[in-house]
Amino acid sequence: MIRLLGLVWLSASLGCPAPESPADVYARDPAAIARGRRLFVGTCGAYCHGLQPGHRDAPFLFDCEWKHGERDEDIFRVIQEGVAETRMPSFGDKMPEGDEDIWKLVAYLRTKSNCG
Amino acid sequence: MIRRERFSGRGLAWLGAVALALGCGSDPASELESDAASDSGRAQNVGEAQTMLELIDDLVPLPTHWIAAEPVGEASGPVDDAMLRDPFADSSRWLHYAGDYRGARHSPIESLNPESVGRLQVAWSFPTGTQQQFEVSPVVYAGVMYVASSYNRLFALDARTGELLWRYDHPQPPELRACCGPVSRGVAIVGDSVLMATLDARLLAFDRRTGEILWNTEIIDYTRGYSATSVPLIVGERAIVGVAGGEFGIRGFFDAYDVTTGERLWRHYTIPAAGEPGVETWEGTSYETGGAPTWSQGAYDVETDTLFWTTGNPAPDFNGDLRGGDNLFSNALLAVDPATGERKWHFQFTPHDVWDLDGNTQLFLVDVEFEGQRVPAIAQANRNGYFYLLDRRDGRFLRATQYVEQMNWATIGPDGRPRINPEAWPQDEPTYRVCPGNMGGMNGAWTGSFDPKRGLAFIPVIEACQYFAKGLAIFSEGLPFLAGTPDTIDAAAGKAYGHVSAIDVRTGEIRWRARDRYPMMAGVVSTAGGVVFTGNLEGEALALDSSTGELLWSFRMGGGVRSQPIVFELDGRPYMALGSGSWATSDAFLAGLDKIPEGGHLFVFTLPER
Repeated sequence: MIRLLGLVWLSASLGCPAPESPADVYARDPAAIARGRRLFVGTCGAYCHGLQPGHRDAPFLFDCEWKHGERDEDIFRVIQEGVAETRMPSFGDKMPEGDEDIWKLVAYLRTKSNCG
Repeated sequence: MIRRERFSGRGLAWLGAVALALGCGSDPASELESDAASDSGRAQNVGEAQTMLELIDDLVPLPTHWIAAEPVGEASGPVDDAMLRDPFADSSRWLHYAGDYRGARHSPIESLNPESVGRLQVAWSFPTGTQQQFEVSPVVYAGVMYVASSYNRLFALDARTGELLWRYDHPQPPELRACCGPVSRGVAIVGDSVLMATLDARLLAFDRRTGEILWNTEIIDYTRGYSATSVPLIVGERAIVGVAGGEFGIRGFFDAYDVTTGERLWRHYTIPAAGEPGVETWEGTSYETGGAPTWSQGAYDVETDTLFWTTGNPAPDFNGDLRGGDNLFSNALLAVDPATGERKWHFQFTPHDVWDLDGNTQLFLVDVEFEGQRVPAIAQANRNGYFYLLDRRDGRFLRATQYVEQMNWATIGPDGRPRINPEAWPQDEPTYRVCPGNMGGMNGAWTGSFDPKRGLAFIPVIEACQYFAKGLAIFSEGLPFLAGTPDTIDAAAGKAYGHVSAIDVRTGEIRWRARDRYPMMAGVVSTAGGVVFTGNLEGEALALDSSTGELLWSFRMGGGVRSQPIVFELDGRPYMALGSGSWATSDAFLAGLDKIPEGGHLFVFTLPER
């Protein structure tokens, strides 16, 4: 882990672009985006988060405002682990294709959002 | 005169301690007034006041139960089986959620008629102190009205004056699994008890005279996705009650409980287990999370001793790809033996539903001429937009007629089975406007009525078509399990509307429609005098002419109407009770109406003394 962080630091200090997250890769893959959308519509957006803003208990997820960190890794972690003392559960062991599905969800959220 | 339970001097002592700690030697209210009048340091003082109020709120143990100091409504004696079988023998009573066992919600009262209702005025009103939809159908017995509000507050009120006689606020646990608002539709009454099902899936019995709890039974662990919102149906010594949870992948059931002890007598699962008949209608193991809730009240045929109960959607709601088959016994009418819970027959309205078209709307037991013969029938305005007539002896399909104005999801074949329009299936990227939408048609959350003299059923109707988006659902016990979502395009475009429709039960024809700007989401009661009472989402109580649908009277109560009106007579005067108070979120979702504030308030109307 220390060596990995060192590599990131070295890249940053040399002016290299930040390494891509898996969501960045999936964001260029229409099939991955489509799967992320199906997961969102069927599991996240149907009842809790909504596809349109307003009139929901859970936060709207396409307004680029993130309560628990805005990096892809933060969003991934929230989906994977849930948020304590809220109704956001852990989906870490429930996705049919495991972590890949979570990254596809993150990719879908990113591509659907309009952050100006 | 009521006595507060679970309230001690400890709270007052804490309050005094807080006041001293904050240096509040004077009256706190005066302190607030003084702070507000001072410009200098105003923000700081207001902040202190808020802190103090928050502390007070935290420290004072508010009571949740107020017992009547003296028994109320004693003179009339216990509610017995004869009263429940003939509830309108005494017009001072309203004993059943649906008016009577036949589900008619039709009162023999003549004095509420087209000539008189224009003179209705408020007799009294009462606040529930709760938000979200107020869906109660009150019970009236021995001059006492029993009213349940959202979040399971239960009030016993003097039916003449509205005076509070006893009160119970159910302590709700965290994280309720209420799919569609914290609803309670009221209580059942039997003997000297009133029974209320709760959002945390319990069934409680209270002494109707004092409000003391007689028993408190868990129906099921609510955290598994269950809640209970409907009114139990009393059949002899049994209280029959169903559960909600079709949006959580539950295994639906309805139960019978001993009204004296609260002991469970039987449970009827609405989805078969492995190896049981009907399980072959579920692909793979999809029956394990198949839904089929039982969240509205059924009906009871006294003559054949048959209980009728309805079931809701299969789960997940909007994607049937992994639950291929008819998905029995979702969206069905079940006839069962009330002594054992054994099924006699079933009829499934919407096999393999993917539009959330619960079969849980009101049942009317009617006797009609059909093909030259008098048939004991059962009629229902199903959420799928068709008005059904079945033979109630065996469930044989007789007829289905369209009662909504907009219909395109299916036609009904001669066998009663829907013939699906392939364009109506939910899509990944939906572009087809499906009618009716997922709320109906009629919805089981509110009632209709049936006038036997006119042969008319009065049905409140939603006209709000939708797109249906399909997705992938991940099942997790106790969490929503929908696999898609309706897109309320009509509501968003301001095109959702409603009407009360009078349907001739003999033919299925529409006799009249009384239109409203928004979907009709309140219940109905009708009178022998020829009046239909209901309310609308803009907060008006309405009286319509039973023969023509003409608007005879209206009164602006304020909050959107989601409750079930009742009528009764006391001291020779007729009364009509109706609750005001809706849930802005659902009004916005379904009707595009979000500006009206929430807050339950019961109104009771009467005619002036002559």
